[in-house]
Amino acid sequence: MRALIIDDSRAMRSILRRIVSGLSFETAEAGHGQEALDQMEAGLDPDLCLIDWNMPVMDGYTFVTRVRANPAWRNVTLMMVTTESEQGQIVRALAAGAHEYVIKPFTPDAIVEKLQLLGLVDKGVLA
Amino acid sequence: MTALAPELSDVHAVVEQVWSSFLGDEEPLLPQYDASGPLPADDVWSAAVSIHGGWAGTVTIELSATLAQNLTRLMLAMDDEPLDDADVADAVGELVNMVGGNIKSLMPGPSTLTLPYVAAGRAAHASDTTEVARLDAAWVGEPVRVSVHTTS
Amino acid sequence: MRLGVTMAPASFQQIAALVLRETSIIYEPRKEYLVEARLHPLAVQAGCSSVDQYVALVGVDAQERRKAIDALTINETSWFRDNAPYQAFTETMLPALMASRTERRHISIWSAACSSGQEAYSIAMLLDQHLPAGWTADILATDVSTAMLARVEAGRYSQVEMNRGLPATSLVKYFTRAGSEWQVVPALRDMVRTRHLNLAESYIGIGTFDLVLLRNVLIYFDQPTRHDILRRIHPHVAGDGYLLLGSSETTLDMPADLTALWDREQLGRVQAHRPAGATNRPVHGLSATASPISAALTGA
Repeated sequence: MRALIIDDSRAMRSILRRIVSGLSFETAEAGHGQEALDQMEAGLDPDLCLIDWNMPVMDGYTFVTRVRANPAWRNVTLMMVTTESEQGQIVRALAAGAHEYVIKPFTPDAIVEKLQLLGLVDKGVLA
Repeated sequence: MTALAPELSDVHAVVEQVWSSFLGDEEPLLPQYDASGPLPADDVWSAAVSIHGGWAGTVTIELSATLAQNLTRLMLAMDDEPLDDADVADAVGELVNMVGGNIKSLMPGPSTLTLPYVAAGRAAHASDTTEVARLDAAWVGEPVRVSVHTTS
Repeated sequence: MRLGVTMAPASFQQIAALVLRETSIIYEPRKEYLVEARLHPLAVQAGCSSVDQYVALVGVDAQERRKAIDALTINETSWFRDNAPYQAFTETMLPALMASRTERRHISIWSAACSSGQEAYSIAMLLDQHLPAGWTADILATDVSTAMLARVEAGRYSQVEMNRGLPATSLVKYFTRAGSEWQVVPALRDMVRTRHLNLAESYIGIGTFDLVLLRNVLIYFDQPTRHDILRRIHPHVAGDGYLLLGSSETTLDMPADLTALWDREQLGRVQAHRPAGATNRPVHGLSATASPISAALTGA
């Protein structure tokens, strides 16, 4: 399976890449929402997107709305991974079509468990 | 007029969680209760993010260069390769970004967070700013300081 | 030399040996920092002047021993831990219990080693979602630690704890931000009451429950005590009720009188224990038995 990691922080992309590669995902990366959309429009077919909120050019929330507006991408699982932790923000993201939401800081366990909730990782896997 | 400030215990909680989540809880962050004056290290790195909107303030991290390099190696999984400034700036910047982002969510919103500014040197705070919260700690024997300032 | 390690090597070895014996977790010598940092608050609470003194206390005081082990055991608490039991609760147990309580329309649950309360509140969330109007439920959360009970009553959890196994939709529905933490909404907190209880001691006045969760706590007790607990908890489980142990816990090696008390049933990926011999309930899994002899033989 393939994961697209979208975050303007190289350190965070590195951390997430290690976690999901360990779960046997192939990974691709983008520094902001537009870059991610460009990759998807060019044929990258991710099963999962891990999306930061605050990024230059196009933020994660806008990215989510764009993906959910396109029927071709209806099977892409969208998980926000962000410091935005106000209740209202989480509600907005879920309403826009994000499937899951991880608040930074997080441990690798947390990512695994969320992916299990989403059915992308087998329930028997331990972090 | 007193500026609104985050609760010290909340700042501690945020820093502890960011630290243990990304740097592991094998080596705990040990609060130092008697620290004062400049950070006790020869070479220091610092990084800051500012918050604007419903609340305005700056969150700053200062840490010894040794600590900055060690945590960069951990966060970027670079064990033996030589580190350059950009590597350290990426790692330390992300750390202050996470701490700042969580502090932002403690304060009245809506607010935005600037990109982190990282420097290979001590932080300096302008005369019209007030420190409203501070945590001094040691990690594997190396000093780190997280502070929150508002404009008085 | 590192700042701050004051613990004597002998104390460290003693504690490391204890933890290894009780939990199989290995603490290597380079982890003195961690051990000291985690034991220090307990030492202060216990009135000890040093961690070394506290370690000596742990050697003779069973309650402090348990606290020390807890503090040194990586905190595995998450919401809906292991998932399968909660799924079995929603899909199988709750419908079955409801089918035979149509007059009383009430479900009682006991979280028998509730720790910080994620188990109790996870069940509360499921009840909120699946219990029809006109039905009520109560959840008793007990623990030997008064500090933990206070946590359950407050219902406050850190950001990091909130990330663990909790669907985001439940996060926003059942919690509100409280400083750097999140707090369970009053409606759910009202479902849960706490009580101090040491499982090795009397259960007098506890009552009877439709579901008893005794997950991942028996490991803290020696074998005779474990058997005693399983014996004494039996009358507190409703005849058609369920007892759930931890996913990796087994009740093999039980003496005959104990296997006579409990039937084992497989509900999906979950093994449940049911009071043996009850005839007034539907059979779920293939391994439901009625006789003590076949219970011992089928083993599961």
